[in-house]
Amino acid sequence: MLKAAMTALALSAMATPLALAEAPATEEAASATLLTAKVNGMVCDFCAQAVTAMFGKDEAVDGIHVDLDSGEIHVMLKAGASMSDARVEELVTKSGYDLVEVSRVPA
Amino acid sequence: MTSRRFSLCAVACFSIAAAASARPVSYPGGWTVMQRNTGDFSSLHLHYSPTFQDSVGAYVEQNWADDYTFAGAQYNRLLRRWNAPGSQANLYLNLGAGYAESFDGSEQDLAGFAGLAADWETRRYFLSYQARAYDLGFDQSARQAARAGIAPYIGDFGDLHTWLMVEVENVPEAETPVTVTPLVRFFYGVQLVEIGYTPETERFMANWIVRF
Repeated sequence: MLKAAMTALALSAMATPLALAEAPATEEAASATLLTAKVNGMVCDFCAQAVTAMFGKDEAVDGIHVDLDSGEIHVMLKAGASMSDARVEELVTKSGYDLVEVSRVPA
Repeated sequence: MTSRRFSLCAVACFSIAAAASARPVSYPGGWTVMQRNTGDFSSLHLHYSPTFQDSVGAYVEQNWADDYTFAGAQYNRLLRRWNAPGSQANLYLNLGAGYAESFDGSEQDLAGFAGLAADWETRRYFLSYQARAYDLGFDQSARQAARAGIAPYIGDFGDLHTWLMVEVENVPEAETPVTVTPLVRFFYGVQLVEIGYTPETERFMANWIVRF
């Protein structure tokens, strides 16, 4: 159910105006609910498990969905929680992959 | 430096490449159990990854072809990873040190091995190569293997993934130095299972990996 909700949110993210999707990592953007990280190198379930485990350790994270087709990690943040671009990059890098870009969708 | 130490270092230095199985490192805090049965040997490798570039653990091998048991510690290092959109390539170093004993107990000694492994993978294609050299004190050996694989369908994260693969192995001092093993890999959740058959030696391959 969470996966379906996050997939729906991810799809809605694609339909958001470009200005929103490319918002810089300001304080306002960092408080968004759904975060999408485009990642290079994720090709298998072990890769997906690695990023799921790493992001799952962060207290700001409420849920994670990995889309191997698009190479994206969709992260649902807890209400009121935030995650900076630097933190996203740290978690992706520690998982063993390369971050390409981060986008956010306000709740 | 003793001659044995020197020979172990030499093995480490001259080992050229190897690792046809799955990646020998996990994510930080991840544990992996890798169990292999090729007909020539059975092995169990349990390792812990403090970082995505390193893992350390125990390795035990029963070598049915050369009649010995090896038990010791193994360190794996991801020397380099190339991440690209839709693909990943890796180069690994494996080092092991421990104790070896012949099945009949007549020979036992400090032992070690060194190997290199490389792989390239997309969601559709897989290629790998690995080589490993052993110095058992009372015997030395080496083996290398290469694999090619294709996924007949592309599954999502969490689906059952299936790979059709062929492994070519070369063990120079073996009775049958070159063998070809068609195999099928099933990958579901945290578990990976491989089943194959080597016609030249009439032996089955059965490998199992679980990550947690």
